[in-house]
Amino acid sequence: MIMLYQLKWKLSIFVYIRNNYQTLINMLFKIIRFIRYPIYMFLLCGLIVVITSCSSKSKESGPPALTISQEQVSSWVRNFNPLIPGGTSRWPTVAGIYEPLFIFNSIKGEYIPWLATGYEWRDGNFVLDINIRENVLWSDGTPFSAQDVAFTFQIKKEYSGLDTRGIWKYIKSVEELNDHIVRFIFSRIYVPGLDAISGQPIIPKTIWENIEDPVKFTNPHPVGTGPFTEIIRFDHQVWELGANPFYWQKDKPAVKRLKFPAFPTNEQATIALINGEIDWGGNFIPAIDRVYVSKDPEHHHYWFPRTGGTIFFYTNTEKAPFNEVNVRKAVSLAINRDLIIKVAMYDYTIPAHPTALADGLASWRTKLATEKGDWVAHDIERANRILDEAGYSRDEDGFRRLADGNAMSFEISIVSGWSDWIRAAQVISKNLETVGIKARVKTNDFAAWFSRVQKGEFDMTIAWTEKGPTPVPLYRGLLSSEYLKPVGEIAEANWHRFSIPEADSLCRAFERTSNESKIRSIVTRLEELFVEYAPAIPLFAEPSWGQYNSKRFTNFPNENNPYGQLSPNYPPENLLVMVNVIPR
Amino acid sequence: MATRFNDSVLVRWVKGILGNRKALTGSLLVILFVAIALIGPYFTYDPTAFLGTPISPPSFDHWFGTTGQGQDVLAQTISGARQTLLIGFCTGFFVILIGALIGGISGYYGGRVDDILSMLINVFLVMPGLPLMVILASWLPPGPLTLIGVLVLTGWAWNARVIRSQMMSYRGRDFVSAAIVSGERNIRIILIEIMPRMLSLLASSFIGASIYAIGAQVGLEFLGLGDVSAITWGTNLYWASNDLALLTGSWWTFVPTGLSIALVSFGLTLVNFGIDEVTNPRLISERKWRKHLPKSRLNNGITPVVRNND
Amino acid sequence: MTNSIKYLLRRLGFYTIAAWAALTLNFFIPRLMPGDPASIIFARFRGKLKPEAMDALREVFGLTDGPLIEQYLTYLKHLLQGELGISIAYFPQPVGSIISTALLWTIFLAGLSLVISFAIGTLLGTIIAWKRGGKLDSFLPPALAFFGAFPYFWLAMVFLFVFGFGLGWFPIRHAYGDMVTPGFNLAFIMDALYHAFLPALTMILVSIGGWMLSMRNTMITTLGADYISFAYAKGLSSRKIMVKYAARNAILPNFTGFGMALGFILSGALLTEIIFSYPGQGYLLLEAVRAQDFPLMQGLFMTITLAVLGANWLVDIAILFLDPRTRR
Repeated sequence: MIMLYQLKWKLSIFVYIRNNYQTLINMLFKIIRFIRYPIYMFLLCGLIVVITSCSSKSKESGPPALTISQEQVSSWVRNFNPLIPGGTSRWPTVAGIYEPLFIFNSIKGEYIPWLATGYEWRDGNFVLDINIRENVLWSDGTPFSAQDVAFTFQIKKEYSGLDTRGIWKYIKSVEELNDHIVRFIFSRIYVPGLDAISGQPIIPKTIWENIEDPVKFTNPHPVGTGPFTEIIRFDHQVWELGANPFYWQKDKPAVKRLKFPAFPTNEQATIALINGEIDWGGNFIPAIDRVYVSKDPEHHHYWFPRTGGTIFFYTNTEKAPFNEVNVRKAVSLAINRDLIIKVAMYDYTIPAHPTALADGLASWRTKLATEKGDWVAHDIERANRILDEAGYSRDEDGFRRLADGNAMSFEISIVSGWSDWIRAAQVISKNLETVGIKARVKTNDFAAWFSRVQKGEFDMTIAWTEKGPTPVPLYRGLLSSEYLKPVGEIAEANWHRFSIPEADSLCRAFERTSNESKIRSIVTRLEELFVEYAPAIPLFAEPSWGQYNSKRFTNFPNENNPYGQLSPNYPPENLLVMVNVIPR
Repeated sequence: MATRFNDSVLVRWVKGILGNRKALTGSLLVILFVAIALIGPYFTYDPTAFLGTPISPPSFDHWFGTTGQGQDVLAQTISGARQTLLIGFCTGFFVILIGALIGGISGYYGGRVDDILSMLINVFLVMPGLPLMVILASWLPPGPLTLIGVLVLTGWAWNARVIRSQMMSYRGRDFVSAAIVSGERNIRIILIEIMPRMLSLLASSFIGASIYAIGAQVGLEFLGLGDVSAITWGTNLYWASNDLALLTGSWWTFVPTGLSIALVSFGLTLVNFGIDEVTNPRLISERKWRKHLPKSRLNNGITPVVRNND
Repeated sequence: MTNSIKYLLRRLGFYTIAAWAALTLNFFIPRLMPGDPASIIFARFRGKLKPEAMDALREVFGLTDGPLIEQYLTYLKHLLQGELGISIAYFPQPVGSIISTALLWTIFLAGLSLVISFAIGTLLGTIIAWKRGGKLDSFLPPALAFFGAFPYFWLAMVFLFVFGFGLGWFPIRHAYGDMVTPGFNLAFIMDALYHAFLPALTMILVSIGGWMLSMRNTMITTLGADYISFAYAKGLSSRKIMVKYAARNAILPNFTGFGMALGFILSGALLTEIIFSYPGQGYLLLEAVRAQDFPLMQGLFMTITLAVLGANWLVDIAILFLDPRTRR
């Protein structure tokens, strides 16, 4: 009975539709037209949902990868040639895929034997013998020997474009005495040459002797002795490096995979850090406590030890009044280093030590020099007094005048991309006004700035200093005439154009000796010369930038465990971290 | 506001703008910012001084908060207006000058001169602006003159072409032939007969060029290619981005400058709309009609043309 | 027809001259800049490279010292052979391979945005011109103009941080996910679209106002023509008039603009790519300029110039087909 009823109902509907389908269709279209905008919106949203859900969010498989942010590029270029100057081959080619003979640990201030086990100077420092480690294999299984070491240095002679440390300027020959000793014969005595030799990444002879042009060779499938040598994959946006199956340190590295996403800007890298996507980074991050640590205080850490060099404020000593020692010291007294550090460096560092020796070289500081270096401080009164006594009087608008009557008005040249130093320069500019010197900050791009600075065509600037395992490179760059060139010619260092003959002889003596106490007395004397003559003005110690995320990996170096440099920016020290980090 | 037949061009113009709601709003916006730029800096803190705690939100002391270095954002926004607006309007002026010169001569004289000059215009038109700007700005010493030079070099061609085609259409008109026949010198014809009629075109070109100049300038400075130690809207954004403004949540270092730029550009655009409506004969007629006819009747979209008192 | 062929050939001739002028400029400008790439790389390390590296760097990059004219002629010859040289910033990668991948991504992103922006803008402009005086007309042009008034990168950054970083709805960098392998499959294409969404959205939002306004203006002018009134008087429906008669004629000047914009997509996406870390040409150019990488700069400039000229020429051809008046 009910079924019949339903059937009749359906039939009547059917009849109704057939009779009036035209009207009904019109009504249908009208309704669709009426609500077409919401329909469009709905379809659009649906499309978006489809697109977002279809994007692969696949899980990573395999051993956990240590994600690193060291280089900032927009897309990766496959280049693993360890011989060309840095920045062109992928980090960690120079130290990670390949390894050096010794590693200088700047935190502890000592050399760590790596592919070499020891060295010995002979024949009055004309000969250097290096002992090569035994039982080391290349990542293709072939044995490593002194032949590879000798070959590495010989190839730099053959292709002088690869000699980035200028080793062949003082080496006469390199040869292997046997499978485990390499002999370097010097053309002139140059003990600091050990530093350059020890840091050279070693390449396999059997492979590289067949390469036609090692300068342009991109080495897409590298064979090295380092902890990570296997390229797992290489795409434009990300590449991965796997562990070396034949690595010479037993059970190391504990990490089996390294991952490198491409971050073109600091901002992008910081975002990734905050999101916890990066495990180990070497980026400069403003207000890091607020930006990074606060997001996950348990796992987000950083360590900025002051093991870099010291950043200096250079005045051109060929220009009046900076040719006078007193004026330079007065300028130094006018500078408020604390404010610079607060404003430009986010309080990440401390003012420079009077001897300009940063923490890594603290053991070389002497009490006498420190006391005499009292001009590395902030004392406006004293600065004004010194300038008054020197005879530079002020005029009506408060600025001092030079001997020839011109106003003291100068330019501080800074590279337009280095915003932290621009800020520092702005602070200095204001500081100098208080002592009556007008200094305007002027920015240029790299090329223009560097060219001017090298040619000595500048008034003032902020720049780095030479670094090394001892303080000598620092003082040599500041005091000796080794790099001195007249104004207008390009000088590689000593841009402020200052030299003392005594410094020259001290540096020469340093090159010839490997005697500890002799070296120490040379350095002490150099320190005293520095604080006496104030060739340039130390500002602050340069921190090294290192961050890590301990959520997936542990045993990174930090203040409590300073076994080495955390920052990946100082090859070959990053090797220490790479072999010691452990996955959780 | 009725305009009478013998009102001078300028008076007619001003009345037109005042009567048009869009142009009025736009002009007020622009005048407001220009006034701020001129007088404002005398009333604020020194924008370069390192005053307060870095990255502090807007407060009584600092109405717009402080930057990553402890500088007052309000002071920076106000001081930044000066250089940005100055460079923007200067560029606009020079673009019009060069555009009118080259476009006008090219359109008026025709023939060989036109061929050469329009080839020049087309070559510049076709050269990619932004890359050229980036390359030039990074090569030349940073500063306002460099910016103006680079912007003018990459931007003059567009207006030149527009002016040229307008000049060509006027060239064929009767009054020009009459003037030539009566022995007037060409220069006089261009300057006194034709140019005044192109005033609206020149004005809207000036505004368009200024908008472009402000935007491009801010873009270049944001990339760090301007004079980074100067205080302009572009460098404000550069420093804010350098200090990771949005990442640290310090929106106040970023938003005021961006809004100011948008408001100024928007104001100029509105003025342009207004000029367009005032001078385009078809739109004029529409306003007259709209007063008389009920709205629904106009939905057929046809544009009647009404004789104008021209 | 021979008239049109003559016209096209004349345009081609013009484009060749324009290309030559641009390429010559492109050759001289980098060489007039002070400094050299070796110094740049050295300075980039802020002291980590020793001074002795300078000589080695100079030798590696093979910076020749021949007379300028000779270098210029070699440069032209290499260009014609398609040899773009070896990059300095990405040494020793050849310039061609660096540019080619970047080129594809820029074309994808900027091309997509341009087409969508043009299509929607033109459509809106038509509708607004038709319904002049209505609610849409008084609201949409000022609103879109206001969006377009923001500095482009500012809007991009805000979107990035609000939708990408803050809400996490969209990816914040790159053209595709790290886990996806590039290939011509659906998953990859979907992923690419997902990553392109935010950058494309910002580009579209900023430029759509411009297209809409110009379409509106040309429509208004077109609608004043006699034949429109005639068609209306004859009784054709409004929609038909709007689409088949008015829009079809009004779109022609816009189309020329579209053609020019098409050529400029290679250069215009610079700021987008920087902010969204999109691996395209724009960012490559900035890096090349910063590193004073002459070969890369020249290569990029050349592709951009050729693209612009090529697009213009294609538009000339297209207009020849679309607009019978030019065939005379």
